[in-house]
Amino acid sequence: MLARCGPLSLLGASFVLMVGGLGAPGPAGLALASGVLLVAVPLTVGPGRFPWARLVPGLLAIASVAWSNWLLASPRSWEAAGFAGLRIGFFVLPGVVFASFVDPAVLGDHLGQRLRLPARPVLAAVAALQRFERFGADWEDLGRARRVRGLGPSRSPVSALRAGAAQAMGLLVGALRDATDSAVAMEARGFSRPARTGTPRTWAVAAPWTRADTALLVGCLAATTIALAGTPVLAALAGR
Amino acid sequence: MTTDIPSRPSALARGGPWAWRGADFVVAAVFGIAMGVVFIAWDYLLNTPWTAITLAFPPAASLALGVWLLPAIGGGLIVRRPGAALFVELVAAILEYLLGNPWGPGVLVSGLLQGLGVELVLAAFRWRRFGPAVAMLAGAASATVEIVVYEWWSYAAEYSWPWKLAMLAFAVVSGLAAGLAGHALVRALARTGALSGFPPGAEETLRRAGDG
Repeated sequence: MLARCGPLSLLGASFVLMVGGLGAPGPAGLALASGVLLVAVPLTVGPGRFPWARLVPGLLAIASVAWSNWLLASPRSWEAAGFAGLRIGFFVLPGVVFASFVDPAVLGDHLGQRLRLPARPVLAAVAALQRFERFGADWEDLGRARRVRGLGPSRSPVSALRAGAAQAMGLLVGALRDATDSAVAMEARGFSRPARTGTPRTWAVAAPWTRADTALLVGCLAATTIALAGTPVLAALAGR
Repeated sequence: MTTDIPSRPSALARGGPWAWRGADFVVAAVFGIAMGVVFIAWDYLLNTPWTAITLAFPPAASLALGVWLLPAIGGGLIVRRPGAALFVELVAAILEYLLGNPWGPGVLVSGLLQGLGVELVLAAFRWRRFGPAVAMLAGAASATVEIVVYEWWSYAAEYSWPWKLAMLAFAVVSGLAAGLAGHALVRALARTGALSGFPPGAEETLRRAGDG
């Protein structure tokens, strides 16, 4: 189902979960809501659509949050530290999954047409994101060119670090020069014209909001409601 | 003469600070993407060793915060227009968000706050001063906003107050260093001629004329 969601619902759902995780008043409701997500998120992903190993850095981050919130609390408490880790994990792990379904170009279309953000920064960002895919090839070209000129690193790690820094600077300079050139080309095709003259800008691709978008947002709103209201409700039920 | 450099006024954005040109957006976005690559390199190569090193003393982890402030500081110093620092920081954060990172959507919140911190200082000087002192102040403000508004209540919610303040102090030190580093990076870029259409490039031309 996530593959059919647009970028705005994926982003919006991530922020809804962030409110639930950071705003949760106690561990009971948050644990219940986390259990719901633990079942629901893998079901919505579908088999083979997400490399689950991508969650490892997030899991390590959550462990480090729990550890530091135990070590530096006063008084120290494992329950409080576990709760601190859970609050972060509640929005980080689903957020990483959702992010992998966001397409940069589609995100630009939606930010410009649905949220009506200023078009020039949005389009410049999309263009730059596409430029990103060329960075890898540029990096290898630069490395080859530097080796041919006798500027490559020797075997010592210091030399490798220095050569890496010089090469990174070269990549950055090249990217900025290219950007200046493409800005001229974009201006020649009327990039700034709508901003200058007020003529409306047209978009090549529509940015539809679908039923999958609504379903994702509603589902995450429900999980956040459980996280926020679950603890007092469970306490009231237990007290009866 | 090197002694008159501090008193030399900063070059300003063409047409006044509010007159954003197309090239401002395009070059700022590409600078943001390049800085996002730095973020991703850190996330994949250095984040785990860095976390392991700072496990014994977690507040010191904030010493690395400055790396995340570089796009905002560099972007603000290159373009010199309202919103430039925020825009570049958000572009870098979006790249980090899209490619997977340890904090998920948290990086977008951090990016927003870090960008706003730099904007506050540049706005206080009405986009007229861009020297190393202003860059350091911007880095410190950016680090303060990130820690006080977000990290105290999320990643460090259970820390006792002395530790929260220690974390802030480490972050501010890192922010000051990031200000200096960002300023040095922009000057180094200007020296290559890559910023010839921007105020730092104009400053570099003036400096050369003065020396020659």
